[in-house]
Amino acid sequence: MPPFSRLLIANRGEIAIRVIRTCRELGISPISVHSDADVDALHVHMADASERIGPPAPRESYLAIDAVIAAAVRRGAEAIHPGYGFLSENPEFARAVEAAGLVFIGPPPTTLESLGNKLAARRLAQAAGVPIVPGTTVALADDPRELAVIGFPLMLKASAGGGGRGMRRVDSPDEVADALVAARREALSAFGDGTVYAERLLAPVRHIEVQLLGDRHGRLAVLGERDCSIQRRHQKLVEESPSPAIDPGIREALFDSARRVAGVVDFHSAATVEFLLDTANNHYFLEMNTRLQVEHGVTELVTGVDLVAWQIRVAAGQPLPDAVMHASSRGHAIEVRLYAEDPYNDFRPSAGRITAWQMPAGPGVRVDAGVAADTDLQPEYDPLLAKLMVHADDRSAAVDRLRRALDETVIGGVQTDAGFLRWLVDDASFMTGSYDTGLIDDRWGIDHPLPDEHGALAAIAAIAVRTATESSPIRPPDSKRAGSAWAEVARRRALR
Amino acid sequence: MSDLEARIDGESVTPAKGWRFEIIDPARGIGRLINGAASMPVLVEGKASDWVVTIRGRRIPVTVRSWREQVLAGAETATTARAGPAAVRATLPGLILTVAVSAGDPVDEGATLLTIEAMKMQNDVRAPRSGRVIEVSVQAGETVTTGTPLVRLE
Repeated sequence: MPPFSRLLIANRGEIAIRVIRTCRELGISPISVHSDADVDALHVHMADASERIGPPAPRESYLAIDAVIAAAVRRGAEAIHPGYGFLSENPEFARAVEAAGLVFIGPPPTTLESLGNKLAARRLAQAAGVPIVPGTTVALADDPRELAVIGFPLMLKASAGGGGRGMRRVDSPDEVADALVAARREALSAFGDGTVYAERLLAPVRHIEVQLLGDRHGRLAVLGERDCSIQRRHQKLVEESPSPAIDPGIREALFDSARRVAGVVDFHSAATVEFLLDTANNHYFLEMNTRLQVEHGVTELVTGVDLVAWQIRVAAGQPLPDAVMHASSRGHAIEVRLYAEDPYNDFRPSAGRITAWQMPAGPGVRVDAGVAADTDLQPEYDPLLAKLMVHADDRSAAVDRLRRALDETVIGGVQTDAGFLRWLVDDASFMTGSYDTGLIDDRWGIDHPLPDEHGALAAIAAIAVRTATESSPIRPPDSKRAGSAWAEVARRRALR
Repeated sequence: MSDLEARIDGESVTPAKGWRFEIIDPARGIGRLINGAASMPVLVEGKASDWVVTIRGRRIPVTVRSWREQVLAGAETATTARAGPAAVRATLPGLILTVAVSAGDPVDEGATLLTIEAMKMQNDVRAPRSGRVIEVSVQAGETVTTGTPLVRLE
């Protein structure tokens, strides 16, 4: 019997589709929600039904607690899966879901409360005997003398922040006053809470996280680690498991710390404990996220455990079976995130319409996408287009598979980070697995002159296509597919 | 065909020798460049003289012109080079967060004129060249679409 008969997914894009797929496999009827900007989105079409929850602005739709719960009640959903981002770590939402008599797929509201506050989480980890990044464990005063003790450079972070947002680097004592004002203002406007704290900026470091899965009967499975060290703006771009940087001893130490943190919170469902690992192999607790991570698929590939399925089953009260408790990691998995961002211009977001969309397939390839050809990108939302994951027997084979998969990938209409990713798979530090969180700044850099050979190849292709589209006596292309002379060539080929 | 010239960033580019181009999906612009044992997928979008070729994930704007078009384009450039005021337009839709300049301010090339929030990110809009601000057409809190004039520079 399915754990629930109907489930509402309070999210959009690729993660909504990811949850819909597992619902199908479990025999659950998936219901989606959409803003006015997403009426025609993929996740809307893939669900059994979709409810409008408001205008495009997230605050008025995907973050509108009342609208989401009303949609669930209207459709007779028994449970709500929040995905990641949006309401996934909002205790007020979790409480409202329970008050409506529905099941929130995630931990109890009190847990979300204590871990959502990064400062409280730091104190919690410290109390559990887990090392934390050196810094403050209470909110910074206006004249924070303790910063001199921490040392420079340091990071000011929003206590209510997360996902790489609300962070500010401070290099010297005379920058403190201005940085503090700016960090507080940013934190207040982004999270509604201006509390900030300080952490020493550790570098070079790797970012490694441990995947946990708990049930409502006190069982806790540790499902390996993910190395998420390749980041821009403190946000992840590439994740892999196992981490190429650690040996079994360090791995066990990370797992032990993750268990300790989980042990002091009332926790069930899926969660991730994030650590920094320095060059001396010391690890430091960063934060604990009690939700599905964007990069959860990497763990699914190496362990064979469907994390979404178990989130749902655990929420319905099922215990974790031994097969999950003792799931072992097999082979190597790597995920790269395809973003509508221009890596040749500081990874700034690109806007527009996806004109061509050809994703790789074949052995060991998984693509979780939220868009397709002809999708208009919505500036209101996260620019993540798809996650491309590969799995192979070992890391070297996985890198070769990733290169092959990226070569099959064709995205038209907007610049994506695919250009960076294709460069990455040939980069020496990535191939050897010896990179750290500074890879993009140190090795990718800012200047990206076009290689002469690529220019010469682009010239061939452009001249060939112009020639092909003009060598015909047939009328000029109509406006149906405006901007493309190719439609005409297609027509002529079809007539041959 | 030999009449066509390709330019990237205004520079004439000699097409690579030994490669041929094969069309795979004309409706979407997908093709393949092949040279013996080497080949790579390529996306070609555009029309007339303006094309964008995507190679290894990078979008490369390529201008392809016949000899006649080159002559005409040369004449056009000569007349627009002296152009006066420059309009800075939004390159992506979003919310104006801050406006850093007002009419009359002198700005240096690269100076931040304003910030736009789009796709959850704050983006600085910078001055394309040095000059005096003639007009600021938007204010903080306003939502703009791609192409909206933001600031006019002398």
